[in-house]
Amino acid sequence: MPLSSRSKVVAIYALAALLAAAELVVFWQALHPNVSDNYRAYYITRSTTCLPQPVTADYALGETVDFTSAGDRDAARELLPCGWESPNDDGRQSLGETSRMRFAVGPQQDLELELVLKGINLNDAGNRDIRLFAGEEPIGQALLGPEATETFRFSVPASAIKDGYLDLRLDFPNAIETSPGIHNTYWRSVKLISARLSPA
Amino acid sequence: MDATLLQQKDRLTSFVLLLPLGFLLLGTAIRFLAFRYQVPDEPFIRYFDELCRWDCDWYVLMAEGGYHQFPTPNRSNAANWAFFPLYPMLVGIIAKLIPLPTVVVGSLVSLCVAYAATVLAWPLLGRDRKAYALYATFILSGPVSFYFTTFFTEVMFVLLTTMVFRTLGNKDYLAASGFAALLSATRIVGVFVAISIGMQALVDYRRTHGTWRGVVWGILSQHKLVLAIFVAPLGLFVYMAFLNYWVGDGLAFSHVQRAWGRQFDNPAIYLWRGLTNFPSEGFRLSPSQILALSACAGLALTGVLAWRRQWAAAILALLAIIVPLMAGLASMLRFMTGMAPLTITLMTLLARYNWLFILSMLVMLVGAWFTTLAWLGGNIALV
Repeated sequence: MPLSSRSKVVAIYALAALLAAAELVVFWQALHPNVSDNYRAYYITRSTTCLPQPVTADYALGETVDFTSAGDRDAARELLPCGWESPNDDGRQSLGETSRMRFAVGPQQDLELELVLKGINLNDAGNRDIRLFAGEEPIGQALLGPEATETFRFSVPASAIKDGYLDLRLDFPNAIETSPGIHNTYWRSVKLISARLSPA
Repeated sequence: MDATLLQQKDRLTSFVLLLPLGFLLLGTAIRFLAFRYQVPDEPFIRYFDELCRWDCDWYVLMAEGGYHQFPTPNRSNAANWAFFPLYPMLVGIIAKLIPLPTVVVGSLVSLCVAYAATVLAWPLLGRDRKAYALYATFILSGPVSFYFTTFFTEVMFVLLTTMVFRTLGNKDYLAASGFAALLSATRIVGVFVAISIGMQALVDYRRTHGTWRGVVWGILSQHKLVLAIFVAPLGLFVYMAFLNYWVGDGLAFSHVQRAWGRQFDNPAIYLWRGLTNFPSEGFRLSPSQILALSACAGLALTGVLAWRRQWAAAILALLAIIVPLMAGLASMLRFMTGMAPLTITLMTLLARYNWLFILSMLVMLVGAWFTTLAWLGGNIALV
């Protein structure tokens, strides 16, 4: 083989090796993503169905927020980081196994939370089990019959308010699989009709 | 070369170039009339917008605004990382140069790409005039021609797949890998064509040497082939590198599928569920059944490819059916009709008998009217 042809062959093998190395580096990086905890939990480990989106959480203590289509949907949207459908006449359906709410409530103080919820009636699935957390602190549990609308009241300790915000998490351990094989991000449990926070 | 031969060659060239042009015009007329019939009150100018549905809307936004960062600007979990960049970005660049709405530019580019894809498929159709005429009908004026003539990535996928198999036919692995690299930046399944190139190299080795002995060294000693193996998936790796830079997750295109509720499962289970999902009333097929039957037809045509010993195309087709099927039946009709090796094979079968050829062409042209109406009506099986 003439020298020039030989160098060309060597150059092509070298280029192939370079590409292989670059592809390995990209692959390694892909296996070690540099993302937030929320991103990781929703997209990668799939440990939650609720990916919190940025919201203003604007809220005046004592105000009742209407989450049905009759309410101010833009204002209501700013209190719902994730896990809720668009509003209907009878409220917003929960989406997935967890839903979140966020309220800007100012300085720490004990609060009372009033939630009006309606149970979803699908596949004769029975009562809806709802576990409520303020931050990471459990503040209550509720059972809701299919199609039943009930008002629940929970005490929220001042310690649950962080940096002026109250983050509420509703877990639905027996959320309903709406059709066979459908992903749990689409499971349903309750409809959120209204919410109110007032000083305890 | 004598004058008669030259004249024959000219006539053949004219046939290959002009026939698709005729079907392009005919298909545009059918789709436009269907648009006027379905939405008579819409102004003429809305033609392109009305045909642009589902993923097409995403591509328009991508061409105009690029990729989402995290969190997404519209506060949705369904970011656009699932869509591969080549075609939307190409249209985005062209739209910057031509003062027309993006959806119009996308549709015009698709028409040009569809025409090119048809003409370039001529050798793959065995230079058979009838098969070629059917293929031109199918791509440019057939029942699902709106996939290839509006802003969807399918048309670029068809063109690049065609080029991969044309160049593979000439044992030009390096050129094939160049097209494969572009293909892997067009749709995720495009990366599987790298396996096709490897398969073709093995088949060629066996044909040349008559034995498998020494195959590893035989492959590794072909420097261009070795380079081709690493060039072929380059489009995917470049996209992964971009996503890693943009959102910190090189596999975001896969992870984001969760936001669409795509659940990985056994493809056979999805297929069975689809086939047995009968409509609640009437005798029409349900959308799930149509999608499942599309996958079955794709598998059957893959069988024909294997029977014809077109192993490189068969392996691509098989993977391009099974892998999407693992995430459900969604878009299966579009995926199958956008697989050039399958549709080319089908047209060669339909062109075997004159009566079948005529019937197929009629069915495709009449079908174009009804499916375009169904598309405009939002039929979920066509998504």
